[in-house]
Amino acid sequence: MEKTGALVVEDQAAAGALAGAERGPGSRSAPPRFWPLLLVGAAVVPGTVVILLGRWGDTPAVQAWRTVCLAVTVQALPFLLLGTALSGAINAFVPESVFSRVLPRRPALAVPVAGVAGVVLPGCECASVPVASSLIGRGVAPAAAFAFLLSAPAINPVVLTATAVAFPGNPAMVLARLLASLVTAVVMGWLWLRFGRTEWLRPTARHTGHRAGHSRWNEFRLGFQHDFLHAGGFLVLGAMAAATFNVAVPRSVLDTFTGTPWLSVLFLAALAVLLAVCSEADAFLAASLTGFPPVARLAFMVVGPMVDLKLIALQAGTFGRAFAVRFSAATVVVAVACSSLIGGVLL
Amino acid sequence: MKRFLQPVLLVLCGLGLLHVSLFTDLYLRYVKEGMRPLLIASGAVLLLLGLASAMLDKGQHEGPHDEEEHGGHGHNHSAMPRVAWLLLLPALSLLCYAPPALGAYTASRQPPKAVPEESDFDPLPATSPVPMTLSDFTSRVQQDREDQDIKGRSILMTGFVTPGGPGGSWDLTRVILNCCAADAQSVKVRIYGDPALPANTWVTVTGTWHPGGKLGTRSAPVALDARRVEKVDRPWNAYQDSLPPEARP
Repeated sequence: MEKTGALVVEDQAAAGALAGAERGPGSRSAPPRFWPLLLVGAAVVPGTVVILLGRWGDTPAVQAWRTVCLAVTVQALPFLLLGTALSGAINAFVPESVFSRVLPRRPALAVPVAGVAGVVLPGCECASVPVASSLIGRGVAPAAAFAFLLSAPAINPVVLTATAVAFPGNPAMVLARLLASLVTAVVMGWLWLRFGRTEWLRPTARHTGHRAGHSRWNEFRLGFQHDFLHAGGFLVLGAMAAATFNVAVPRSVLDTFTGTPWLSVLFLAALAVLLAVCSEADAFLAASLTGFPPVARLAFMVVGPMVDLKLIALQAGTFGRAFAVRFSAATVVVAVACSSLIGGVLL
Repeated sequence: MKRFLQPVLLVLCGLGLLHVSLFTDLYLRYVKEGMRPLLIASGAVLLLLGLASAMLDKGQHEGPHDEEEHGGHGHNHSAMPRVAWLLLLPALSLLCYAPPALGAYTASRQPPKAVPEESDFDPLPATSPVPMTLSDFTSRVQQDREDQDIKGRSILMTGFVTPGGPGGSWDLTRVILNCCAADAQSVKVRIYGDPALPANTWVTVTGTWHPGGKLGTRSAPVALDARRVEKVDRPWNAYQDSLPPEARP
């Protein structure tokens, strides 16, 4: 009853607003005829909306969604801060000549070097996107930066240790994960060299590096702040998408796909994309999926740190949508192929 | 652009993180205990960044700005990216509308977590009832072929109520995290013989193994005939499979 009343008032308020708009600016001085109703509407509608939203927000499913969404965001924020701080520092403090001296001149050689260099960035995958973006801004070949972007979250010591802990007495799994991730990253870098087009990339004009006459510290702070706000927004977007799948798809669906090996590899790869579990934890989740063959679990761990919903959102925000769609799709294909091949040999 | 909004957003994010990690224990609803120092540090950094931005960037928004001139595609440091507004949702949610920890709803939609394969089981202590974790109970029922210590023993376990089993039974449940609430898994023990309390009530159950199948194999039900069910306080860090509170040294 209360609800219908509010709706009626809302309708009338809308009608009044429309009428006001039609009358144009000339008659602005005359108050609309329904102004007491407008007042009542203004008083009742926001309250009703808040109460209804609050009641809807406390149903178990929505509560679970909010918890998961907030958990993904809170878990990723420290790593995103680390990544954006690093990216801001590279932009403001590291001169371009450093990268041209460290990396081989030929991009085809720079790709594997950058892939192996992923070992040095410990943490979740969210940190690597802003860092890769600032590397491109500092003159590093995009192919090399993308190899780094893909390998860093998958082969750093923290993740490999977690994998070893999750699969006790199974060092082949750690080795397979290391190799499959590294090969995928390098292959993707080379693919970009061969087929990639610069126009897919959004121009990264904000990483202009240090400019004369500006304080380095101020540049660092402004770059850090902008990158964090930008990437943080996309992180929230990705977390929402991941939480939706997390809550909407019950885990019992898993059991239906355990039968056929090929289907299970594809299914776990898709699951890794949708669940957006952070790369330090996915090994534990993979270890618990006992119904699946080891190759499928390897695919889960190789795809997860490279492509997932929150990463796609972050990449779309940083490099542009045209890039994110093509790159993520290609990465999934290469990652599934690599983990099937390497897993088939090693596991 | 309204420049003062950036510091406000940063400060709100920082305060939200500090609120859940430094001033309260709300962060335990979302992530693991070990994340606390990282969250406090992040909150402090964001707060400082926001304050610095509020103080240093004041009075810069008037007059021509060289960044505005060549930032033709709207990608300069001075403009706030529109997507950044989304950060307001988690910040405000952390500050004043923090959702509860995952519970019966999530557990009821998941198959029970697979317990690790074990072959050697320590003999159960002589105390009665024996305090146990839900995982330990599960693995002893389904894997302990030789000793079958569990048979006839009185057992004490703590978890929360997930109602909805067949014939008035319900599940004693724990939700376990590896990293954050997105990877939550649940361990469950079916409880017979005592009517279910409302969902998400924390209880300590005393009872004996509910016989069926062959003990020590997968056919044995992970279930308990309850003798006594007592309400208890929610544990401080609920996302782990720990012993009942009174049993801890």
